[in-house]
Amino acid sequence: MQNRPLSFSVDIKLNERRNLANFDYSIVLAVLLLGLFGLAMIYSASGSYALVLRQAMYFLLGIILMITAAISNFRKMEPIYLNAVWIGFFFLVLVLVLPNSGNTNRWINLGFIGFQPSELMRFLLPISAAAYLTRNPQIKFSDWMIVIVATLLAFILVFLQPDFGTSAIVLLSGITPIILSGLPWRFIIYSFLGGIGTLPFLWISLMDYQKERIFTFISPEADALGSGWNIAQSKIAIGSGQFLGKGYMEGSQSQLDFIPESHTDFIFAVIVEEFGFIGALGLFLLYAFLIHRLLYVAKSSNSKFAKLVAATLSIILAAYITLNISMVVGIFPVVGMPLPFISQGGTALVVNMITIGIILSLRRTT
Amino acid sequence: MNNYSRKRFKEGEEYSRALFFLSPFIFLFSISLFQVLNLTLLQGDKYQTIAESNRIYQKPINPVRGFIYDRKGILLAENIVQRDLYITPAYIEDSSKTLLTLSNLLNVPYEILEKNFSKRVKKAKKFDSFPLVKALNEEQIAKAKVNLDSISGIEVKATLKRYALHKETLAHILGYVGDISSDEIKRDKLLSELQNTQIGKTGIEKEYDFVLRGKPGIQTQERDVKGKLVRVLDTQGAEDGKDIFLTIDQKLQDHLFKLFKNRRGALVALEPKTGLVRALISSPSFNPNILNSIVDTDKVESLFANEESPIFNRAVSGQYPPASTLKPFVGLAAIENEVISWEKKIKDNGKFYVDGDPRPYRGWKENGHGRVDMRKAIAESSDVYFYNIAYDLTLSGIRPMLDNFGFGKKTGLTDFEANGLLPDKKWKLGYKGDFWFKGDTINLGIGQGYILATPLQLAMAYSGLANRGIIYQPQFIQPEDEKSFQPKKIAEIQLSDKKDWEKMEQALIDVISARNGTAHKVFDTNSVVIAGKTGTAQIKSILPGRKYDAIRENPALRDHALFVGYGPVEDPKLVVAVIIENGESGSEVAAPIVKSAINFYTGGFNAE
Repeated sequence: MQNRPLSFSVDIKLNERRNLANFDYSIVLAVLLLGLFGLAMIYSASGSYALVLRQAMYFLLGIILMITAAISNFRKMEPIYLNAVWIGFFFLVLVLVLPNSGNTNRWINLGFIGFQPSELMRFLLPISAAAYLTRNPQIKFSDWMIVIVATLLAFILVFLQPDFGTSAIVLLSGITPIILSGLPWRFIIYSFLGGIGTLPFLWISLMDYQKERIFTFISPEADALGSGWNIAQSKIAIGSGQFLGKGYMEGSQSQLDFIPESHTDFIFAVIVEEFGFIGALGLFLLYAFLIHRLLYVAKSSNSKFAKLVAATLSIILAAYITLNISMVVGIFPVVGMPLPFISQGGTALVVNMITIGIILSLRRTT
Repeated sequence: MNNYSRKRFKEGEEYSRALFFLSPFIFLFSISLFQVLNLTLLQGDKYQTIAESNRIYQKPINPVRGFIYDRKGILLAENIVQRDLYITPAYIEDSSKTLLTLSNLLNVPYEILEKNFSKRVKKAKKFDSFPLVKALNEEQIAKAKVNLDSISGIEVKATLKRYALHKETLAHILGYVGDISSDEIKRDKLLSELQNTQIGKTGIEKEYDFVLRGKPGIQTQERDVKGKLVRVLDTQGAEDGKDIFLTIDQKLQDHLFKLFKNRRGALVALEPKTGLVRALISSPSFNPNILNSIVDTDKVESLFANEESPIFNRAVSGQYPPASTLKPFVGLAAIENEVISWEKKIKDNGKFYVDGDPRPYRGWKENGHGRVDMRKAIAESSDVYFYNIAYDLTLSGIRPMLDNFGFGKKTGLTDFEANGLLPDKKWKLGYKGDFWFKGDTINLGIGQGYILATPLQLAMAYSGLANRGIIYQPQFIQPEDEKSFQPKKIAEIQLSDKKDWEKMEQALIDVISARNGTAHKVFDTNSVVIAGKTGTAQIKSILPGRKYDAIRENPALRDHALFVGYGPVEDPKLVVAVIIENGESGSEVAAPIVKSAINFYTGGFNAE
């Protein structure tokens, strides 16, 4: 891959001062608020200081990486961004090759720390794709094809782990920059129809537990003590929170373990049980505000690369938030997806914060 | 191809495409917010209730069942400690392996353990424990105590179990207890609060169950999703059941029960002046203690399958023809209706003919008793005399008197009583599809035919004779103070001449005391004076040309022997009705029991 100067970037007025004051601090504030709130909720849901401490360390690491990314000059980073996807592929293959306990190969254990390569891929892929697509002032049709091939490859690797939820996100993260960068609508429509055509094959390749989740979503009451139980308990927790909630650490559904995965995927149920509709509304507003500010970066940037990266990463973040919450409130099938910045889980937290940092770095060039 | 995209793609379209891309998520996000609003605000109360029921576990605290005593404070039923084997599925790794170990250790078939386990494990939460084997015996307890430490999830728990001290002797009075059935819970919602406990199924145990049972307490616990106790929120102690004192005289009951050994029959002994029941026997009997254990299922089944129906309470539910024991009431009806006088004699040559019917109604004595008046007719039990007066009285003359003395009606002693049967024309038409014939009235005159009475009804009727017309409500519950006890009258029979009571009593005394009395065999100068009447109830009518001897070859068709009497006549303390099924002779088998009962009870007998 050759590293030549970007021909269209000459128009951009670079802010020579590496001025921290140029950040959108409301984004940083929102993320810190969400992260701290997450730590508090993880403690309420799990009752474990150890877990909170672990998450806090990831949070700290996340803050450092976020700031590092934020103050970096994205233009100088571009060659790195362009090739970052190879790191993602390396780990995705590695995780499949390495022997793992259990039925799934999702984790890479580096001894002192473990992480999920799929979480890495869902932000490396769109960044590399954006860099690749915008390396020339004009996008060739073959560029899109190459990105599509890379995306499908990444999707299959994650799907094989198997991880249905994240593979869908990876797919989304690769396709978004393609579409945003101007792929003609008729190709989009053809691919969409083609995608629907592959659904039956996808269905065949689903694991039993994944099929069960979809069945459960279609008819949760059919098996109230089996797989529908999780969603039923989650709804009970949310509903019983009523207007003001039961109070921090006072939610019976979460404290007595009726909510499954209460400190990870289902943490939203704990939040609503303990802080009620008001708490949920506050969280919705905070998330909406965050996404809005992140999209503003995409809107206000003059750089095509910045637009693509900021918009794609914002969309991925919005997808995570929306799919997690709609799953927990019972209007979407149960797919294992954490709630960004809040759910316990180090990789996701760190990746999300780096994402924010990168978007911030795009912002500072305006 | 170079400018392929530029043709349509405008500057800044990235952002509008991003918004387009985002729209499904914005839509889903809005729907989610609406769903949160729906769950918390619109359905919040409903989910609040469900969350509470998830969290709260109301653990019943069983009350201690009340004891039962006899009138003098002798303990009749208590609770003993029973050790049950409890299993907690949460601590079991491999249930079939554990069950197999237990099966070998306790010598209980694996299938039974498996059945008990799978029946309960589905309903139970993980940390719930439930009984796997009830009522361990000494050997099992010893083995369990030594070995159970090595088996996790298994423990021996002590519970209280009903124990009837006098076993068979009081079985029909006390009844038995057993596990609560789902039907019973449907009828009585209070029962759902009692868990792993037993309630009365028959007898006093059932009728006074609400007194004996007490009120269960409730411990309100907070439990987690696995059913593990988190903390106790509230404890309301149980209110133990109350003790009950029965009117039964256990010593009398014990004494009489022995006399029923190897006999089928029943006895009711009560105080005529108060209605307090002092003894009540139905034989054969059963051991109530085996009915409340799930260990002896074979024994329980054989108990219910037994042809002699040991569980059936003959004393209050058995219905027998009263036979000659009915004669005093028919006699009083005849005197009252002036069909006959005390003095008038009727010739008894052993046969009685109705106009236009060549078949004779035979008396029990082949050639009759000669010329008999009422007194002699009672003492010797002349059938022909009573055929005559019954014929003259007609059904409408006899029925009111029998009705007054309580025939065909429940006495209200227990819920398990039978009605008996006091037939009338309507009944016969309805149940037999036939008209009432004169012959039916004639048979009724000697207590045969359709009429049926329970031993309890007979004792009650004779208490009316002893009390000169007053019958008191019979009861099992001992009054606090017998002397000041005011019994409830349930009948007061008026005769136009009060001397008729004495005259009838004299005839009943003659039954034993007079040389020609049917029960003179039991006459004994050491005994208190007893007034009573023998009876021999035919089960099968003797067809013309056949003799009773031919029938009696089948023991099940032999006549029932009856005797009903009271004494001492100067101050009646006890009225006793005895029936011995297929016992044939009232004077030989039934009368001695009555005599023994009265003498034992009054303490005036020394030839026992």
